[in-house]
Amino acid sequence: MTTRVLPQTQPVVSPRPLQLFHRVLMGGALLVLLGYFAVYVAFAANLIQFPFDYDQGEGFELVDTIMFSQGQWPYQDTDTFPFYSSNYPPLFHVIAAPFVWLFGPGYWYGRLLGFLGTLITAAAIGYAVYREGGSRTIGVLSALAFLASNTVYHIGPLFRQHMTMVMFETLAAVILARACDIPDQRQRRIALGLGLVAILCAGYTKQLAYATAGAACLFLFIRGPRRAIIWTAILGVIGGAIFLWLNIATNGQWWLQTISANVNEFYADQTIGLYRLWFSLHGFLIVPAALLVVYELYFSRLSFYSVWFIAAVANAALSGKWGAGDSYFATSIAAMCILSGIFAARSIRADWTFPDNYLTRGVIAPLRRAAPALAMIALIVVPLGYLGYARATLKMPTDGAFAPIATVLGLTPNADNNFYDSAGRIAGGYADIGHFTSQADIDAGWRIVERVRQAPGLVLSEEAAFTIYADRPVITNPTQLLNLWLNNQWDSSELVGMLENREFGLIVLRAQFYPTDVLIAIGQHYEQVDSIFMNGFDYLLWEPINPA
Amino acid sequence: MNIMQSAKQLLSTITKPDYALTKRHLGLLLVVIGVAGFVGILGIDVLDVGREGGIGPAQQLALAGCAALALLGLTLIPLGDTPA
Repeated sequence: MTTRVLPQTQPVVSPRPLQLFHRVLMGGALLVLLGYFAVYVAFAANLIQFPFDYDQGEGFELVDTIMFSQGQWPYQDTDTFPFYSSNYPPLFHVIAAPFVWLFGPGYWYGRLLGFLGTLITAAAIGYAVYREGGSRTIGVLSALAFLASNTVYHIGPLFRQHMTMVMFETLAAVILARACDIPDQRQRRIALGLGLVAILCAGYTKQLAYATAGAACLFLFIRGPRRAIIWTAILGVIGGAIFLWLNIATNGQWWLQTISANVNEFYADQTIGLYRLWFSLHGFLIVPAALLVVYELYFSRLSFYSVWFIAAVANAALSGKWGAGDSYFATSIAAMCILSGIFAARSIRADWTFPDNYLTRGVIAPLRRAAPALAMIALIVVPLGYLGYARATLKMPTDGAFAPIATVLGLTPNADNNFYDSAGRIAGGYADIGHFTSQADIDAGWRIVERVRQAPGLVLSEEAAFTIYADRPVITNPTQLLNLWLNNQWDSSELVGMLENREFGLIVLRAQFYPTDVLIAIGQHYEQVDSIFMNGFDYLLWEPINPA
Repeated sequence: MNIMQSAKQLLSTITKPDYALTKRHLGLLLVVIGVAGFVGILGIDVLDVGREGGIGPAQQLALAGCAALALLGLTLIPLGDTPA
């Protein structure tokens, strides 16, 4: 077929007042998103100084890190004392392990790594948009838009591996997007190799990266099936060998703890609610991202970013699993920021071409006369889109240094510790965090540590920090026990027996994520003696009834 | 030409070093996946006759997704040999 490329626009000369207005709006969008970045940095700084669990289970990530630093696998047999295991792959903890050697146990370095990971991701997004779209300003806006997302904001500075996975995925995307177009064979192979190494790193940071791995294989298949088959085989062999080695080295616990135990109950309502929330928060950028996907599908070549975006959005359906949540959208948000940035940059430059096909003739050709006007409208709509996105993702403390701004914006707190979050906590699975911690929270945490120190015998704590700081053994990882128990893969008899024998001098409960029979044993043989409020939660202290 | 010969020819074409998928091929691929998925999901009920409740909401969603995929594929086929 002969391809006739229709010039979409005549050379567009925008009136000076329009150009000026465009710059003012772009400056406004930059200013607002930089303000959000300042809030994010302040939040990260606040969290890095907080020495206890901010999000449930962070302490167990620290335990995994400590175990790796001591040359132990965290994938242990949970049927026997101390009933501890991890359900996450090792890379994030391995990266953090040298900090244990240097500084001992602490939350700050895990949170710092997570935070730095989001900055690297944002930089990669900005670079990708600049490379593909040619606009530095929109590159910066896209990077800031990623950090402004409510999901990225509240997960970024946690001691969690999720955003490090997203970092590796994004680096892989930026590398692979151009890899197939490199003419020099050696350089092309190096780029493909690096991209697939980044994907392997993502997968061994968190299992969810399998969707990005699938997107990479599909993209390579579209660009060259022969090359795709070869590189997919290489990826499979290396990834499979590491998997096999881990499984053998842990006597099969790797498979049980990270794969079998992760098959959790699915709540369709939670998924639907989170998709709606994702769109309501990010819709201003989802629409242009989707338009670029459609453009590439019908009028150009599919980029890796489009394939990745589709895979990530589909994969977010798993956010309805027990234990999952809005973090499952983080990868799609990174892809969205890149695609929407490229769309915005090209729209401002009126840089669209349409090859002759049935859609061009039927849909685009009639619009050609309006093209110059559309190009001028884009100068206004693009910055307004980023401003709209900023309004949709608004979140900040309403007290302290932020009080005057909150007053001007008319914000009233709708979350813990005087925090406003536009997400509004309407969807199940949306992380109930984002607020700043206070000195009172830190003081309360140390009071609990003191209680643990004074307790006779063993201590069962739903948060690992209290036992770590009190130099007591960490016993169980409650959510992992629950995962296993729900899959009929955990024998509770030994732990329940210890509870019935009142072998624990103190039990600290927070979300009560233990398996039901453990909670029943606690209820029958222990009594609540105190409650200490910390970081929005009541930590319940239980002691044995009639101590043995 | 029998099916084996066609398959062999297709395989030798797509494994050429400089070969890339066209819009038509991508469209056909999506149609095949969509139709196969649609039939497969319906097949669950036919094969597993003991199941109760018929086609549930998740299955309906999956059926709609497969149908959409096949339709998307159909719209790509007329785009011919343009690189995908």
